[in-house]
Amino acid sequence: MCGIIGYTGTDGGVVDVLMTGLSGLEYRGYDSAGIAVANSSLAVHKKQGEVSALEGALPDESLGGVAGIGHTRWSTHGPPSDANAHPHEDCTGKVAVVHNGIIENYQELRTELEAGGHAFTSETDTEVIPHLIETAIETGATPEEAFREAVHRLEGSYAVAAVFSGSETVYTARNESPLVLGIGDEGHYLASDVPAFIEYTDLVVYLEDGQFARINPSGIVVTDEQGAVVETAVETIDWDPEDAGKSGYDHYMLKEIYEQPKAIRQCLRERVHELEGSVTVDELAELECGGPVQFVACGTSYHAALYGARLLRERGIPAQCFLASEYDVESIPVTKETVVVGVTQSGETADTVSALRAANRTGATTLALTNVVGSSAARECDHVMYIRAGPEIGVAATKTFASQQVALAMLSRVLSEECSTEFVEGLRDLPDQVQRVLDGSTVRAVAEAYEDANAYFFIGRGYNAPVALEGALKMKEITYKHAEGFAAGELKHGPLALVTEKTPVFALLTGSNISKTLGNVKEVEARDAPVVAVTDSPDEVGQYADYVLEVPEAGPWFTPILANIQLQLVSYWVANRMGRSIDKPRNLAKSVTVE
Amino acid sequence: MHSISAVILAGGEGSRLRPLTKHRPKPLLPAATTPILEHVFDQLLEAGVTDITVVVGYGRNRVQAHFGPTYRNVPLTYVTQEKQLGSGHALLAVESEVNGTTLVVNGDQIVESQIIGDVLETHDTDSAATLGLLNRADVESYGGVIFRNEEVTDIVENPQDERPYRFNAGVYAFEPEIFDAIRTAKVRAGEQSLIDAITELLESDAHVGGVISEGLWVDATYPWDLLDVSFDLFEAGLVAGSHDENVSDSATIHDSAVVREPVVIDADCEVGAGAVVGPYVCLGENTTVGSNTVVEQSVVDADTRIGDSATVIDCVTGVGVTVGDGTVIPGGRGDVRIGNRVFEDEYLGALLADRVADRGGSTYVPGAVVGPETFVEAGATVRGTVIEGTEVRS
Repeated sequence: MCGIIGYTGTDGGVVDVLMTGLSGLEYRGYDSAGIAVANSSLAVHKKQGEVSALEGALPDESLGGVAGIGHTRWSTHGPPSDANAHPHEDCTGKVAVVHNGIIENYQELRTELEAGGHAFTSETDTEVIPHLIETAIETGATPEEAFREAVHRLEGSYAVAAVFSGSETVYTARNESPLVLGIGDEGHYLASDVPAFIEYTDLVVYLEDGQFARINPSGIVVTDEQGAVVETAVETIDWDPEDAGKSGYDHYMLKEIYEQPKAIRQCLRERVHELEGSVTVDELAELECGGPVQFVACGTSYHAALYGARLLRERGIPAQCFLASEYDVESIPVTKETVVVGVTQSGETADTVSALRAANRTGATTLALTNVVGSSAARECDHVMYIRAGPEIGVAATKTFASQQVALAMLSRVLSEECSTEFVEGLRDLPDQVQRVLDGSTVRAVAEAYEDANAYFFIGRGYNAPVALEGALKMKEITYKHAEGFAAGELKHGPLALVTEKTPVFALLTGSNISKTLGNVKEVEARDAPVVAVTDSPDEVGQYADYVLEVPEAGPWFTPILANIQLQLVSYWVANRMGRSIDKPRNLAKSVTVE
Repeated sequence: MHSISAVILAGGEGSRLRPLTKHRPKPLLPAATTPILEHVFDQLLEAGVTDITVVVGYGRNRVQAHFGPTYRNVPLTYVTQEKQLGSGHALLAVESEVNGTTLVVNGDQIVESQIIGDVLETHDTDSAATLGLLNRADVESYGGVIFRNEEVTDIVENPQDERPYRFNAGVYAFEPEIFDAIRTAKVRAGEQSLIDAITELLESDAHVGGVISEGLWVDATYPWDLLDVSFDLFEAGLVAGSHDENVSDSATIHDSAVVREPVVIDADCEVGAGAVVGPYVCLGENTTVGSNTVVEQSVVDADTRIGDSATVIDCVTGVGVTVGDGTVIPGGRGDVRIGNRVFEDEYLGALLADRVADRGGSTYVPGAVVGPETFVEAGATVRGTVIEGTEVRS
């Protein structure tokens, strides 16, 4: 859940590159940040708080140096503090290390190292690495040998980078944590993710699990576990790094909400054919689906997967959803005919990638549905379908959820090999319908009315049930207030006890299920709870609701996509009124790369 | 590289273009298929501008969402003008964002790069301002400038007298003293205008220069002008209108459909069997033209669905419009009523605002203006001005 960056170049700009990189990685976590630059000695600066706090703590004079590493941290071991911030050093201050991932055997290693006389200054798992390197150096190893030796001792997930005093080289290795190398004119880069250095270069090399790399100003050398040099493919990143700007909006989240018509257009482009009534996804030309489909996903992506599974079941394909962290191939029937679909925005979600890995081992067909080209999930799976939403910076997923829904709707037609003109028309109408919701939304009045509520409940039935869950998740994430989503029918089986006049209920009332869900609405009204109806039939439901949020009429498959937009806006405006840190909610990170 | 900053004033609605401006400001209305403002960006970049500040206000979410943080790798900074209180007021909003010489243009008028380039070349910092000027006959509809011996001596909006006016192209290079001039100039009808500020400069004996240029200058005053604006772009070669350049690779056109140049067919469009599209047609992205339908001399905005066997001539549509099967918009001249004014004999088959839903088999009398979200029942005859959200019965 952290981000790392490394740079080596003779242009004198090490610190600038590292700080720019850290800003580009802040979405991955931000409770502390730090950098180390190698000169004749090591200059290490780290600070609890956001990257700007580190910036303020840097000395005014230049740090000089050629090679450097940096890190933004999101706590897994030990609370956020200056001491626990990376980089970490050995006892002699000759090596500094940054790390993303979790070292599972760190306790054992630490005990061993402490017994050998090493003094630890932090509570992190990472700190064992510099001390392991120090131990190897003491026995006469070169920095590279020492680095390899240390990494070989690690169990768990890691993207790790190290610099040594008096050296122009950065050493790095990865296992089950993202790491990408960049080739620039002035120097060479490494990072957890491309935005860290895209300002400087769009030429990248993806490091594979188990590989090592040695980076210095003159080049990059990638080696395998045994140290043999590996040929690597250089790829070009073709998206615009400036997409990461806020373009006049107060928050990335609002910008991304308003980008949804565009994101959906990109998702549909050249995949839907109205005149033929067909859907084609080029990336999936080789995919064959003979058996059941199992979705694995977390958080918002899981809600999208629930929607996708329902679409498939409607087409007669058995489909189930699993929370990726609960996906245990030992106790779930997986056969060679099973298609396991991992839904993950970043493609780096550790729980999902690990579930896909487990699925791969069983011989099932795997498919990643992701936004990030070349991500771990994309490379892990037999097939990949991209949702093409463009970079998403706000921690609370918005446009990527809409794009996941649209991609899953298309996937349902690809897997079932059946489509209709009506379905394609519905898909093609979406960008304008989403725009219409954005143009006409009246949510700010709702946010104002219920800003002080004790809790928020969301109910929906059928295709709207996952939207109810997602609406509640969004509300929790960015307002820090209690919110729960339920299948509408479940309300009376317990949660109704929580409903009071201080708990507004958002009811998704669209399509053919309106009358049943209206029954549930009346149940909450009898408890004096305010009701906000999100509906395509305001005439029918208006009398039961305190506020009506309208969505255009669309097919049953598509109204949930539209209804969700209203709920995104409600959460945004409630959080905005409460002055929350909307783009970076407390305790959360964008891309959860630990299990 | 020498850096050149430009400010684009794009905060106003452009209310004379109602009902097309219901959800978005005039700078986002299409010229051919791209927003007017995008053409403005293109011409600024062509003239060598290196960074752009856009003053946004009405419908700013739409502008920001459309363009994002950069345009063709040139950074865009958005500054919000909360209330639209005149062009001078708009420029004041960016005072803290700019320093030194600033180029200022309007976001809702397309001005060829040559005119912008001439202003940049002519301006020197000894002048408080330099104005782009044209020799055009229609000065009284816009603004006039008296220009003698390389010097502007008077500037007038909608001049009615017979003095030898040059046409004010609305392209300005300003030195920072313009900001004080805006503040000093009298507020008229609650608005601070740039023209009054320039008058203020003239009265304070500052030097105001100018340069007479040639080149395309187009502006849509009324909704039907969007047709001429688009066609002018074809004529001037700013939009080629050719198959090779302007028919998107991601559009699907049936083998038996006929596409006549000049034409623009944007991404994701679908054109059915036997349809005839063009000449002088602009289809915005993700638009469908059904089988055996004829579309001529029309600007059709994004996400519009035109059914089978329909006829659409001299038509302007907003986004997400549905024209049903068999509907006939025969085109030609008609009287158009906007508010209390009647414009006689304008070329306008019909103006259909955003998300008009026509169920098919309808007929439109030339000059019809249909407000947003209006529902036209099958077989209706539509004439005159129909306000927003109406149901037109047959």
